[in-house]
Amino acid sequence: MLIANRGEIALRINRACQELGVRTVAIFSQADRESLHVRLADEAFCVGPGPVARSYLNIPNIISTALITGCDAIHPGYGFLAENARFAQICADHGLTFIGPRPDVIAAMGDKATAKRVMREAGVATTPGTDILESVDDALHAADQIGYPVLLKATAGGGGKGMRAVESASDMERAFAGATAEAEASFKDGRVYMEKLILDPRHIEVQVLGDEFGNVVHLGERDCSVQKPSHQKLIEESPAPHLSDQARSVLLEMAVRACRHVRYNNAGTLEFLVSGDDVYFMEMNTRIQVEHPVTEMVYSVDLVKEQIRIAAGEPLGYAQQDLQLRGHAIECRINAEDPYNNFAPQAGTLSRVVFPGGPGVRVDTHVFSGAVVPPYYDSMIAKVVAFGASREAAIARMERALRETVVEGVSTTIGCCLEILATTPFREGRYDIGFLPRMLASGVH
Amino acid sequence: MSEQHAAEQHPTPMLAQRVRALAELFVETDLLRLRIEREGEEIELGRRTLHPDVVPQIPHDLTAFETHAVRAEAIRADLVGIFHLSRPVPSEGDLLESDRELAFIEALGIRNPVRSRGPGRILSVKRVDGEPVEYGAVLFEIDRG
Repeated sequence: MLIANRGEIALRINRACQELGVRTVAIFSQADRESLHVRLADEAFCVGPGPVARSYLNIPNIISTALITGCDAIHPGYGFLAENARFAQICADHGLTFIGPRPDVIAAMGDKATAKRVMREAGVATTPGTDILESVDDALHAADQIGYPVLLKATAGGGGKGMRAVESASDMERAFAGATAEAEASFKDGRVYMEKLILDPRHIEVQVLGDEFGNVVHLGERDCSVQKPSHQKLIEESPAPHLSDQARSVLLEMAVRACRHVRYNNAGTLEFLVSGDDVYFMEMNTRIQVEHPVTEMVYSVDLVKEQIRIAAGEPLGYAQQDLQLRGHAIECRINAEDPYNNFAPQAGTLSRVVFPGGPGVRVDTHVFSGAVVPPYYDSMIAKVVAFGASREAAIARMERALRETVVEGVSTTIGCCLEILATTPFREGRYDIGFLPRMLASGVH
Repeated sequence: MSEQHAAEQHPTPMLAQRVRALAELFVETDLLRLRIEREGEEIELGRRTLHPDVVPQIPHDLTAFETHAVRAEAIRADLVGIFHLSRPVPSEGDLLESDRELAFIEALGIRNPVRSRGPGRILSVKRVDGEPVEYGAVLFEIDRG
């Protein structure tokens, strides 16, 4: 198995492969030569210099590495090439199994405007919106139909890039120009579409697994509403607190129905916006997600191993009723960022690193004392996950774990996560995607 | 001959001192050859004969010896693939009169030439024919001096 990624997810995949008896080949950039995933893989090849475009997105060097090392498969992890349908097809063309959905499914669900159309065909409720907008006039007309406020979004986008909220018609021209320019710069695709802006909704997503035989199961939902102003997640938990049985039932049923409609195979996540009992499909991620550990903790399923088994042609081997949720899990992302300076990314050497342990605590990380955080990549350096019999027990365990955590050399989000956990909205489980921006704006920390 | 070229051809007093000190150490050993590289400079000492009765004489005046400042340049792989030596097979010590193909890296069925990028002398061939190479792997060292 060639692991076409870096950092903690590369290490995660390596661990699953080692336990399955699958030999691993790591790829790395020159900036990651001393990285843990490189040291622990069976073989490792440098594929380029630090910048992502020349290393972790260098398809020819990645495919060449897989072929000359005799790999049968490539696991793309998340980010980078994980949702690149062309890369998945290139793997197939070279006789390499891509650990993920089929290329046509990635293509359909990766384009967000197309995905929403496909979901509507499947009878899944989507946020009121449009297909691709060709012009500012189109946008103005659509906004009149939908009703302000609206949100312009990049069809090839993610991570908050190419998004603009528009409160009124007078803001539309500037917002449209800004969104298209940012989308073009970030994804080389400047096309945008529009959605109704649902104020302060919850972001709740559903984990799914599908095999080659048409079997689809869900593994419950995750609440990912604690998000930075950039819409990147910071804290996730499963199950979602204070979600009505009706909303939960609608979410899970929609997710499974949508997957059956597109004959989805392998792991994936459907993301929804939830406002009260109203549930709207937002987008689907056709890959393993960063926050997959919280689902693994409450369902006792190794999702990465399931990905590999499914890709190898094995059936799921279990039905929905065989999956039982137990307890509660919370994940905090430890990022090399300054949360009180707009989460500005930090690079440098980690002079001292101590991670927590004890019952019910899991840490997924690639860093260690003396590790260098390079400037080229995402700033996440660790995920701390706490499991408890109840939500209250999980929160207490997470607080204890974060207090034990030491990362010196760069600013991190550890303190910010502890602050969030101590707030009344979080402890009561009554928060939405506007919660963290409001907390930071209030200046109370 | 320019002043610079003259300086490069005849040892400075400091360099002569270093060479002399190394030569004195060298004759005490049974080494055949000793090469020291430092900051782009190279000093190489070698025996012409192994006859036990011949006692090497260390000359006091080293100005008669030519020195050669080695400027070693690494030729590195700029992609991932299988390394193949070109024909005629380049070897250590070969003089390159101009830019020529030394090897190629086969990747995804495409032949990617590895060239000397100018004249020089091959100091070392770092890979063997058929060896997989990663990005940045040193393939050859060329003396541009």
